[in-house]
Amino acid sequence: MMHCTMDDLLALRAGEASAWARRHVEDCAACRAELDSLYQRVAQLKALPTLRPPRDRWSVVREGARVQRVRRHRTWGSWGLAAAAALLGVLLVPRFGGDGSSLHAALAQAKDQSATLEQQFQNYDVDGRVLTGRMAAQVAELQDNIAVIDGDLARWGALKPQAQDAELVKLWQQRVELMRQLVTVRVSNARYVGL
Amino acid sequence: MTVALAVPDILVARAQAGDEAALEALFHAFETPVYNLARRMLRNAEDAEDVLQETFLEVVKSIRHYRGEGYLWGWIRRIAATKALMRIRRDHLRATEPLDDEHGKTGMHVGANIDLERAFQQLTDTSRAVVWLHDVEGYTHEEISELMGKSVSFSKSQLARAHARLRRMLGEGEGAHA
Repeated sequence: MMHCTMDDLLALRAGEASAWARRHVEDCAACRAELDSLYQRVAQLKALPTLRPPRDRWSVVREGARVQRVRRHRTWGSWGLAAAAALLGVLLVPRFGGDGSSLHAALAQAKDQSATLEQQFQNYDVDGRVLTGRMAAQVAELQDNIAVIDGDLARWGALKPQAQDAELVKLWQQRVELMRQLVTVRVSNARYVGL
Repeated sequence: MTVALAVPDILVARAQAGDEAALEALFHAFETPVYNLARRMLRNAEDAEDVLQETFLEVVKSIRHYRGEGYLWGWIRRIAATKALMRIRRDHLRATEPLDDEHGKTGMHVGANIDLERAFQQLTDTSRAVVWLHDVEGYTHEEISELMGKSVSFSKSQLARAHARLRRMLGEGEGAHA
């Protein structure tokens, strides 16, 4: 005789079982007993003792929150400076002819796009909305990649402060693409997390 | 664990304004349910303490965006569950184990009639999280799948496998439903 599977029993508990399972459980004492066991198991899980934290962590949380606040202000401050620097770069860097001119235009455009996306990200990144595991992993990975590019850009700036090389443009364009992905992830999250 | 905690709106409003005493009061109102949730989902106490800490860092940072929709506990619980699941995911990645591993810990004694708490601890991290969120905290499969970044059928199959394993470990009904 065919009996209910665990899937059937869980569906019965959820009120989503098939007609066959509903009929079967009425006639089959073994399956009724299984369903009762399932209910009892869940009731016992709910009745497990409450586990309490072994020590008070408030002082650690308070200190951590203070550090986060300071770091956040610094981050936004430095991003603001970066955006301003990009704008100044567009306004002040002398125009070059030929290839230099197109490189300069591409560089200015990438910096401008990067600053715009930073602003969009700031608007959507409402101080760390709760993310799903997948989104958090995506955001962390993108931020890591952006940090790597920022490191490269900083080293590049120290070595060749006036450089307009294609490689530099490429780095900025990569940063723009990563920022675009980051904003996309944040926008998606803002739409459905609804906190 | 059923939490019927209601905190006064004024306390929430003060916390949203950055009042440290109000934030501390919220911490102490919810630290036990948050820790219990994390401890039941995770394998060890240290990880649960870390989740407790990370959860309230997030709460302190984000509470001004809490719009009072639903219970505050629901909002905090979602943060805690997300943090715990992230930790499970990270640990799985580090251990290069598949997230839907169904083999469980080694040394499991099938049919040994151990008590439910021990049997529950023997489940895989993912199964334990799904069972706790669904059966105890009352999350739907849709909500769990969203939190875990997995499908609804993944959540349902994890729950079914977990109950089948619990049933075997508890030595219940050795007959037709194994």
